[in-house]
Amino acid sequence: MAVVDAPTSRTGDRAPGFGRPSMGFIFWLSVTWILLVVLAAALADVVPLRDPDALGVRTGEIERFETPGKNAWFGGDGQGRDLFAQVIHGARPAMVLSAAVTSIGGSLGVLVGVVAGYFRGRTDSVIMGVAEIMFAFPAIILLFAVSAVWGMTMAILIPAMAILAVPGYARIVRGVTIALAERDFVDAARAMGASRSRVVIKELLPLVALPAIAFGFLGFGLVIATEGALAFLGLGLEQRTWGSLIAGGQGLIREAPHLALIPATAMFLTIMAFNYVGDGIRELIDPRPIVVGRKRKADGHDPAISAASDALLSIRDLTTSFPTAGGTVTAVDGVSLDVRTGRSVGIVGESGSGKTMLLRSITGAFPVLGVQRTGRVVVDGTDLLTASPAQRSTMLGTEIGIVSQNPLTALNPVRTVGSQLIEVMRVHREISKAAARARAIESLAQVGIPQPDQRVDMYPHQLSGGMRQRVTIALALANEPRLLLADEPTTALDVTIQDQILRLLSALCEQRDMALVLVTHDLQVVRGWTDDVAVMYGGQIVEAGPTAAVFDDPQHQYTQALLASTPRLDLRPHSRLAAIEGQPPSLVAPPPGCRFAARCTIADDRCRAEDPMPVQIRDREFRCWYPGTGKVT
Amino acid sequence: MAGTGHAHLRLDDPNILLRVRDLVVEFPAGKGQVVHAVSGVSIDLARGETLGVVGESGCGKTTLGRAVMRLEDAQSGTIEFRDHDLFGLGGSELAVKRRDMQMIFQDPVSSLNPRRRVRDLVREGLEIWGNESGPFSDARVEAILAAVGLAGESVGERRPHEFSGGQCQRICIARALVMDPEVLILDEPVSALDVSVQAQILNLLEDLKVEFGLTMVFVSHDLAVVRNVSDRVMVMYLGKVCEVANTERLFDAPAHPYSRALLASIPGHELNLPDASTLISGELPSPIEPPSGCRFRTRCPMATEECAEREPELREVAVGQFVACHHA
Amino acid sequence: MSAVARLTVRLVVVALAVSFASFSLLSAAPGDPAAAKAGFSATPERVAEIRSELGLDDPFLVRYGDWLAGVVQGNFGTSVLNQQPASKLIGDAMPHTVELMILAQIIALGVAIPAGVYSAQRPNGWFDRLAGAVSFGMLATPPFVLGIYLAFVFAVRLDWLPAVATDLPGLLEDPVENLRQMILPALTLASGMVAIYVRLLRTDLIETLQQDFVLMAQSRGYSRRRVLWRHAFRPSAFSLLTATGLTTAGLLGGALIAETLFAVPGVGRLAVTAIFTEDYDVVMGVVLLLSVAFVVTNFVVDALYTVLDPRVRHGSR
Repeated sequence: MAVVDAPTSRTGDRAPGFGRPSMGFIFWLSVTWILLVVLAAALADVVPLRDPDALGVRTGEIERFETPGKNAWFGGDGQGRDLFAQVIHGARPAMVLSAAVTSIGGSLGVLVGVVAGYFRGRTDSVIMGVAEIMFAFPAIILLFAVSAVWGMTMAILIPAMAILAVPGYARIVRGVTIALAERDFVDAARAMGASRSRVVIKELLPLVALPAIAFGFLGFGLVIATEGALAFLGLGLEQRTWGSLIAGGQGLIREAPHLALIPATAMFLTIMAFNYVGDGIRELIDPRPIVVGRKRKADGHDPAISAASDALLSIRDLTTSFPTAGGTVTAVDGVSLDVRTGRSVGIVGESGSGKTMLLRSITGAFPVLGVQRTGRVVVDGTDLLTASPAQRSTMLGTEIGIVSQNPLTALNPVRTVGSQLIEVMRVHREISKAAARARAIESLAQVGIPQPDQRVDMYPHQLSGGMRQRVTIALALANEPRLLLADEPTTALDVTIQDQILRLLSALCEQRDMALVLVTHDLQVVRGWTDDVAVMYGGQIVEAGPTAAVFDDPQHQYTQALLASTPRLDLRPHSRLAAIEGQPPSLVAPPPGCRFAARCTIADDRCRAEDPMPVQIRDREFRCWYPGTGKVT
Repeated sequence: MAGTGHAHLRLDDPNILLRVRDLVVEFPAGKGQVVHAVSGVSIDLARGETLGVVGESGCGKTTLGRAVMRLEDAQSGTIEFRDHDLFGLGGSELAVKRRDMQMIFQDPVSSLNPRRRVRDLVREGLEIWGNESGPFSDARVEAILAAVGLAGESVGERRPHEFSGGQCQRICIARALVMDPEVLILDEPVSALDVSVQAQILNLLEDLKVEFGLTMVFVSHDLAVVRNVSDRVMVMYLGKVCEVANTERLFDAPAHPYSRALLASIPGHELNLPDASTLISGELPSPIEPPSGCRFRTRCPMATEECAEREPELREVAVGQFVACHHA
Repeated sequence: MSAVARLTVRLVVVALAVSFASFSLLSAAPGDPAAAKAGFSATPERVAEIRSELGLDDPFLVRYGDWLAGVVQGNFGTSVLNQQPASKLIGDAMPHTVELMILAQIIALGVAIPAGVYSAQRPNGWFDRLAGAVSFGMLATPPFVLGIYLAFVFAVRLDWLPAVATDLPGLLEDPVENLRQMILPALTLASGMVAIYVRLLRTDLIETLQQDFVLMAQSRGYSRRRVLWRHAFRPSAFSLLTATGLTTAGLLGGALIAETLFAVPGVGRLAVTAIFTEDYDVVMGVVLLLSVAFVVTNFVVDALYTVLDPRVRHGSR
């Protein structure tokens, strides 16, 4: 099955970060804090502190319950011991315990998780079964029994907590591994003869290491918190820790709140810092190239392309842009287009040409945030860009129907076909539920779905790909629109089903005198099924005209090159194709002059410097300095 | 003989490099049911030839390629490579034989481990096979990268995300070629690419085929692409072979009703065929319970009772054209 | 296998594994329940007598078998502390813990759903950033630390709410006083969950809002509210559902802290007390209850999936 979607068109499809540090100030502040805590833990005996066990009431240095101040920064406890010294000394067990538990439990968990996720099957069931039992096992019982038998020392607590940490890491890493193992590079390594253990060690472990480290930082904080909770319950280490300080201070919260609140704050800040750094590392995991380019100024010319007055859809100088990490992408750049009632227009181009964004700019529903549109999109006299929300909603619901690329994802997966059809009717017109249901069944029959009275109550996943696409067509047609927008409606379908769907669309347009805008990457689909064609490249329409004329006698050099690079049925096998070398232009910083100049075989300095003026000859138009054979006329 | 027969196999040809007989691949589908992905398919491959395998999703073409590479386990059948039976081999012996067969996958971006540098990706095969490291392998990696059109000092140091889809596919091809394979199995190698880039890769494959003396299996759903690269074409439907023929013969005079329907469905074609809607109807049946007899009969306008009762075997209907149909 | 049969098998396996492990661990502990029961002044003879009464001289496996046989007959043993049946002690404590957990979930979901939905609609807007920062802080605050802060602010400084729930009336007897005492422990429990829920819901909803079927719904001219609640919300709520299940099962661990901190007479506090008084029958009863609750919660979540997601119902996901 074809997946026609190059990486370039995936710009900005990830959910933007949430409270995520961008390696900025707070990240480095957190790193600094962690370093300070580590230093404190390491150097507590060396730095000139008061003795944490010296009783201030005896030495007279610190009073009983002295409040924090110049004398004792963090105040004193019930016997006048210096709280500052106690907190500094208390950092050590927290750091040692967390580091040991995280590294031991983490490494074991990573190993177990990768093995479970890669080998799957019985290995996986056994491992995850054990993990489930461990999750169900109340950790406190284990820790209690352990402390009762051997006493609560580091040497006991570290292995006990490490074992308890293993299932958590294993589960996360297993999930990551399963996702990775579905990717082809694992198969590719196997196909080269790599053994399974090599795949685990060389291919998978390095990739899960970073997520595991990120999770490890979160786990680090969790260990600190758990130790605190244990101390709080009276099961803590037999030495001074933050947990024991908090537990000791908690009963005195009325008399001396600082005794509990200061170590609690130290613990809170430390956990917070570890969480922040962990999140920051997660951010690093997907290093994407950041292309910073300059924003091209709009040159403001009016490409007065055929202003047919009877156009149902009239797009004028439409520009659509959105921000990305690499700069503002101008996906559609000054496009004008007319579609008359009853005509079918194919918009063809490669990925990144802006064809899908052009279609989306008509309805205004975008998968990315912060999209800006300028220009005009007039449907039946109403400019959709300036219309009121209510007006727009009515136009979209009743005048325009839309069919999208992937029938697998275009339908709501958790609602029945019928409820979605009934909804679209009832939102936009007065119709009873029963009548809408009857209409829904009727419309399913019209798009060629057998047994529509049964299918109406089915969920999308119960239908085949072809049937689902028929349902999206029924949804698009429910309110009898006059304009149908179809975005790669058959790309995800097999060729025999594609033929069925295109035949259906074409027949429906004819019956209802509906105009069709068909966006596709497939030149053959355009050639076979549309009246007119517009060829897009680099966000612009570079050539437009009647389909037969454009295919027989392409004018723009890009159109010619595109046709020449397409394998054809009338060429002998092993014919050499005229490949277009190079890459499409950046939409962040498009080159000056003709967008195609860098890949064009006949481009000269003029092409590289000056934007070609649109030329209109009868019903055809193109923007190319050297159209046709390329000779200057 | 069960399955779809052997009439198309060139038994006495000394040039045959790879021969697959009666290959059956089934996947468990839960509740004791199985998906019949490949049901008794036989192919042979002569040295230097490109075999195109076409069909729609669910026809078993990808599974066939993966099973030949032993990435899927076959239930039965034989895979002979240079007269060695691969099917019976396991472990290191299999691995040694498999070295001469390499595979290219559909999605070039997902085929490359994102953490590794291009040089290490390409060198990986050499590493797996040991004893080839140091300056010799460095030079070889550079040479192969240049051969796939990725020359330049810095290429080897970069990581996959710095390259476009087409360039990634070049890296994948380099990674396969560095092993000096005899057979290359390509699973939809240009389907994820734009048409202009697709042409670059197709041209490259033709060049490399000559330069490295490759024999190829080219699996694709795109008939025009298959016509362009193949010497022989095999049409598959629901785990079975429908037709095997020389490329031009198949496209000029398709004999199996499904081949005719497939070609007639190509939008904008100018072949001498009736509307696709008169040649095929309905949708693909479930591969869990495929139809009896001829598996295409439920959608075939020519189907008769005989088609339900007896499975057609491949027979030669013209020179170099083999069809599994009672009515062709 | 039918769903009920599967559940039963899992229940039995997990309960056996967990109870056996706990029983072994507790037997290994050095304390002597007989001595604890006999009291300080008992003679060694009296202790020995009690020990044989309690069957503590039997081999380990026999004692586990006896305990198991008792459980099967509904006899969970007797508390050595006050001679009441363990089942009665647990049964008395149970309603408070269940109330606490339900209250905590209501607070968590009640805060997280609107916050997550609002955040997802305008990612990186001011509310989203604020919610992000707040939930980050909540995640970094261990429950016992939060509990101490809450007690300090609301009980000590402001004196609005009681710091302990020692004389907790039943919810039905005196709902106002009951809630006054339960609100701080419930907040303590809810805080960490709010943070997790907001983050999950936000991430999933942002993803769903970019999906084709949502864009299609927008393209059909549906109102913002309709698109959000009728189309995007349900498919985005599955991670939240899983998390709710997991936290419910894990809440008992948190309940231990919250109940101890605020002296709520629930199961968690009972368990802690029992552990320190070597009241092993009660400990074992709680352990068994926890493992059963864990399995049942996971089962209920799975069942809810089938209700909410037709793809699961038809086994195609």
